[in-house]
Amino acid sequence: MRFGAGKGAPSKDAPPTLTRHSSGFDQFCSMLQSAEGLSILDMSGASQANISFVTGFGHRISSDDIIGTMQQQFGQDWFESQQAASTAHRFLEQTLTFPDASFDGALVWDALQFLTSPLLEDTVAQLLRVMRPGALMLAFFNADEKATRIPIYNYRIQDAKTITQVPRGGYQHCQYFNHRTLEKLFERAASLKFFLTRDHLREVIVRR
Amino acid sequence: MSSSSRSFEPEPMVRGGSAALGKNVTVKGQIFAREDLTIDGEVEGTVECHEHRLTIGPNARVQAGLKAREIIIHGSIQGNVDATDKIDLKKEAKLVGDIKTSRIVIEDGAYFKGSIDISKSSAAKPPAAPPQPVQAAPQPSAAPAASPAAAPTR
Repeated sequence: MRFGAGKGAPSKDAPPTLTRHSSGFDQFCSMLQSAEGLSILDMSGASQANISFVTGFGHRISSDDIIGTMQQQFGQDWFESQQAASTAHRFLEQTLTFPDASFDGALVWDALQFLTSPLLEDTVAQLLRVMRPGALMLAFFNADEKATRIPIYNYRIQDAKTITQVPRGGYQHCQYFNHRTLEKLFERAASLKFFLTRDHLREVIVRR
Repeated sequence: MSSSSRSFEPEPMVRGGSAALGKNVTVKGQIFAREDLTIDGEVEGTVECHEHRLTIGPNARVQAGLKAREIIIHGSIQGNVDATDKIDLKKEAKLVGDIKTSRIVIEDGAYFKGSIDISKSSAAKPPAAPPQPVQAAPQPSAAPAASPAAAPTR
């Protein structure tokens, strides 16, 4: 895992809104379509698009804006703040405060790539705790080794194969996660499936 | 009156009477209303207006479970919200709690943390109020919505 250097101050030049095909979400949708009455966690904050899509299948959706919590807790010294035990503790107190085995699916989007060790591992452990055995998690990771900063997005579902990435202001230094680091990060999961996109995004389906 | 308080025009009355709790009013306990109710102050406890509309104003700070036919939220709520017909979260709304409703509209900028249960059985019930024009949600500024009823995203 390679970490970017320096502080993650937001940039003024706004990135464009992107609409893209997602094989990982397509696979996640197969689960939504194949069962009824599921509980789904969406970690991109509340949005009409995601709520309408998930509840349209008759499922229950829970919203938790993990990036928003990061912005509140970590401020400008994004990665440095995470190393402070008190800040990391506050973040975990406000995130994923659900009972064990609450969800059949979790849409984590790209939030995990903005966390550093050991808070990253603690957050993944919390995620796996709130997921039921067999539940699926969809997570995205930057796959461009040369990138140093990436925009922060909200993720909005357009249809079963398409998502829109809406910029939410600013860029953040990025970390590079390869297959090996992701396998290690999710070593407690039952299985992992990778999709590498043309726009340097590694989509991962994690089965609890 | 606080200089930071926001002016607020309650929704027009649909039918029957309408009651309001102003922004300088604090209530602790149970509120039962048999007419439309607007809350713009502080409430701690429970609020029930079955078959009627409940509006939470922009200055409201509510720590209560809410039940109504339709709930329109501009202010801050900590508690579970149950609407037989519709919940409308406006852009300045902040809601921490679980939602149970037939329909939901979330405007761009609204903060919500909790779960949403869409109750299909409630949706099948005939509306208690006469038919009204559909209230159009503001159009998204950045992303198209997923469904015709969808409102902008955050």
